[in-house]
Amino acid sequence: MNFPLSFWDTSLLLAVTAIILLITSELVSPYYGKTNLIINKKRLRNIALAVSILFLITVAIRIFDIITSA
Amino acid sequence: MHRVRISLIHAAITAMLTLGATAILTSIAYASSVLAFIGLGLVFWGAILLYIRPEEYTKKVLLDAALSPSLTTLNEMIQEFAYKGDAIYLPPKYFAHPGTTKIYVSKRKDASLPTPEEIQKLQNQPVARTTQGLLLTPPGIHMARLLEKSLGTSFIVMDLENLQQKLPKCFIENLEIAENLEIQAENNRTGRKTDGTTSPLLMKNTTVHAKITKPIYENKSKETKDSRQSNALIGCPISSAIAIAITRAAGKPVRITDLKNSEDGNILEASYEIIEG
Repeated sequence: MNFPLSFWDTSLLLAVTAIILLITSELVSPYYGKTNLIINKKRLRNIALAVSILFLITVAIRIFDIITSA
Repeated sequence: MHRVRISLIHAAITAMLTLGATAILTSIAYASSVLAFIGLGLVFWGAILLYIRPEEYTKKVLLDAALSPSLTTLNEMIQEFAYKGDAIYLPPKYFAHPGTTKIYVSKRKDASLPTPEEIQKLQNQPVARTTQGLLLTPPGIHMARLLEKSLGTSFIVMDLENLQQKLPKCFIENLEIAENLEIQAENNRTGRKTDGTTSPLLMKNTTVHAKITKPIYENKSKETKDSRQSNALIGCPISSAIAIAITRAAGKPVRITDLKNSEDGNILEASYEIIEG
């Protein structure tokens, strides 16, 4: 009864989600005039950045892993 | 009978979270990575949707309809009392309370500004009106407070240059009041003079131009000539809020000299004059 996804699977999921969120956040930005979408754009941008940082943390862990195992 | 209103977005969020949680639990039971991916995806997007769900919005037509009568009343009141002077936005130094900003409308066209003491005396009266002038609460006072709250600082501690940099971001990104805001300040070296009087209103001034693209509030007062003339004195809530911001940042009285709306209502241009005291 273990969770079937590994740390790297989660990292991949975070990467894909981060890309989608960052692109969406940029497309609905008020600076481009796409203000018709009624969502909290500031929160969307924050969550996109948070997910991106989470993904970068997994990358940093991966790099640290490679360096220490060498 | 009470009718339960189901919001589509709430139903979608609940469904995504429930299905996602079920998929994760099933993936653990059957050791299925596909189900785990599906479950995580659903829970994740459900949580994001829950977090970024729309704030409380109101239709633009309702906003226009609700605001127009109060502005018309304000203009009619000035016309009725026959106050011919310019509407001057007074900075907080004129009042006992530092957060106060009000409009002073003088009875005569080229009357000089009263002193802070006279204004405070006028403010303490039940109806802030004398034969010399009238004291009004600006239509954009609450919007100006909202802008200050959004910026996390008061306009009083800012200077004009700082205001030019920070206000557009607040208008476009934070509060989404308009699609674009351009503010330009210029110094006029030549002052307007009539009859050789030394009225403070006629001294050399700084002019600030604001161009607001696609504002949330469309100024309907252009429908009649009379209301347009009056409205140019006080301004709509947006132009009034900018006037308050300028008067607080500059610490000097400000008046709206020009207010133009494009035919389609997409561009609002306002000119402000900082009166050097």
